[in-house]
Amino acid sequence: MQDFLDIFDIYLLEAVLNGILLGGVLALLALGLNLVFGVIDVIWICYAELIMIGMYAMFYLVSGFGVSYWLAAPLCILLVAALGALLHLLVIEPLLSAPPINQLLATGGVLFFLQSFATVVFGIDFRNIGIQLPVLGIGEMHFSYARLLAFIAALVGMVAVYIFMKKSYVGTAIRAIAQDREIMALMGVDTRRVYLITSALGGALAGLAACLLVLLYDVHPFIGLSIGPITFLICVLGGLGNFIGGFVAAFVFAEIISLGGLFSDLEWGYVLAFGFFILMMFIRPRGLLARRS
Amino acid sequence: MSKGNVGRVVSVLAAVAAALAVAMPVQAQEKKIKIGVVYDLTGPFAGGGSELQYTGAKIMMDYFIKKGGVEGYQIEPIYADAQSKPDVAINEAVRLVEQEKVDMLLGFYSSAQCVPAAAKVEQLKKFMWLTTCISSAVLENRHLHYVFRPQVSGNLYGVAATDMIAHYSKSKFGKEPKDLRVAIVHEDGAYGVDVGKGDEAGSKKHGFNIVLNEGYSITAPDLSSLVTKLKRARPDVIFHTGYNPDITLLLRQAREQGLKVGAIVGQGAGYSVYDKLKEGLGNDSNYLFTIDPISIWLTNPKSLDPKLPPIIKMIGDDFEKMKPGVTKSAHIGMAASNTYLFFTEVLPRAIKKYGGIDGDALRKAALDVDLPDGGTMLGFGVKFAGQDAAMEGQNMRAFPVVTQYVDGKAVVVWPESQQMQEPVLPLPAGTTYSYK
Repeated sequence: MQDFLDIFDIYLLEAVLNGILLGGVLALLALGLNLVFGVIDVIWICYAELIMIGMYAMFYLVSGFGVSYWLAAPLCILLVAALGALLHLLVIEPLLSAPPINQLLATGGVLFFLQSFATVVFGIDFRNIGIQLPVLGIGEMHFSYARLLAFIAALVGMVAVYIFMKKSYVGTAIRAIAQDREIMALMGVDTRRVYLITSALGGALAGLAACLLVLLYDVHPFIGLSIGPITFLICVLGGLGNFIGGFVAAFVFAEIISLGGLFSDLEWGYVLAFGFFILMMFIRPRGLLARRS
Repeated sequence: MSKGNVGRVVSVLAAVAAALAVAMPVQAQEKKIKIGVVYDLTGPFAGGGSELQYTGAKIMMDYFIKKGGVEGYQIEPIYADAQSKPDVAINEAVRLVEQEKVDMLLGFYSSAQCVPAAAKVEQLKKFMWLTTCISSAVLENRHLHYVFRPQVSGNLYGVAATDMIAHYSKSKFGKEPKDLRVAIVHEDGAYGVDVGKGDEAGSKKHGFNIVLNEGYSITAPDLSSLVTKLKRARPDVIFHTGYNPDITLLLRQAREQGLKVGAIVGQGAGYSVYDKLKEGLGNDSNYLFTIDPISIWLTNPKSLDPKLPPIIKMIGDDFEKMKPGVTKSAHIGMAASNTYLFFTEVLPRAIKKYGGIDGDALRKAALDVDLPDGGTMLGFGVKFAGQDAAMEGQNMRAFPVVTQYVDGKAVVVWPESQQMQEPVLPLPAGTTYSYK
């Protein structure tokens, strides 16, 4: 009994809070991918690579050209937004009526293109922006400001996207197209423009994630291997295209990883999280909070 | 036929004969050895040390190509990128043997690649000269006849780490070894697992109290729960084995979560690339340790075979030309030294004594190599374990050293025979991870 009670210590609370902070990072990653899928019905497999390009932009702006972090961040967001729009124009739009597998393969091709592009242009070295934010200490618990920042950005991003979608004219048009893309075109809505805006927004959210991840991780051409698969799993777990589902799934996933890793080997935390994912695919195949059709 | 015509025919025939006479020796000289050289030039391992190893091997290849080859054989390297993926490493090894028709393979950085690739190359009966991949699992009890590793075996890393900590347990930590709390943390590939086993065996031998022993995936995006467990376990010393992005992630999260310890003993790979450690961790990289064969630029020249110091200087000069401003890490010297060893000890012996460059000739030549300590740029000697040994193909005279980064300088601190100064233990008060 004492052994059981011993686990309820300050470190358990720290693990729970760290899980919440990790959930914020994962939620931020999932936000843009969900937006794009929810509206255009195309999965950007290369989403993590857009974030990687954004991280390189931040690194070179801040470390290379001495631009302040706060000025570099909006520039990075604009750059990745433009990349998102370009991705839509050059790759997605010509394939809108193609079978989904073709769209998936095309964005998969972009993934390898961007990885190779980054290898050739930026080299294989790990780059670090060199900014060490202070640490928030509460008793024996310590938390990273960089993660707190990512957590707050995820919350603000989520609320901003929600308000934009509910209150603005463009947001309403985006939601309408997400519900029925054929009928909206017949009613005179310029679907091409709405898709383009959505892609730019998705890119901007990837850019926002890049601004924060560059404080947490070294950037290298293959960082997508670490963050890409887990982002995709969270989107599927939450119900592809469902913002709130993705948000909830990110925190559930992160807590399983964090607490599973605390009570067992770290690797078991990931095993449990992926096991939970598989189980939910049987129980709720359309996601934790599936979008109603 | 007129006299003039006869003269012209004779002249032409004479010219042809002369041309043939000239051509024959040229043809005879065109003997060459094709070497498939495999390292990771892309993917996470590239920046973690593999690309530096490639550079070291290439400097040595170019050196012998410029010299006109070895014993009449021209050298033709064919470079391949394993992309930090075991499946690509195997495919490239097979492609080099079957399509490029290479005579042998050289290189390989990651143990995760070497374990399957070595078995495949053995099946093809081709000679394989491993400049890195230290895991014991590459050779132990596998009896691979054509695979040779002049490099240190991974289990010795743990021995060196724990021997050093045990030696200074009382004098530096003020504790008997049995009271010393140690944590073993490693990436979960063949390399990390093997070094971790060595740490565990060494810790048990010295009677340390192992408070945590755990692996993790190098692609894990978060290691905070591992750091929390380390905080809960309160170790005096952490033995850590990892590549580069995961080392930075673990130590950055350790700083953010306020982990305090007496020493962090890194063990090779990412810990041996000081530039990247410094870039990722800033001043937190001060007083970290790494374990690897000694950097060739830190060896005592007087302890080496006299012909080696000029070669070490040449490698350094060439590297500076190729990568100006980049610190000369141990990785470059490891690959360069092991490649040099092949071209000076194995290849000439195979050609002269065993009549060629096929797998059997190279194997016999490698088994004949018998160099005392100081016979290589890495300070150790060479004698490969033979057919009946559990570690067949392993250089039994190779040993690693423990290096500590002190105020930006790499200083050899263990074993005592190679020691440049005593290690700074425990971490000085005021440093980020110090528990003082």
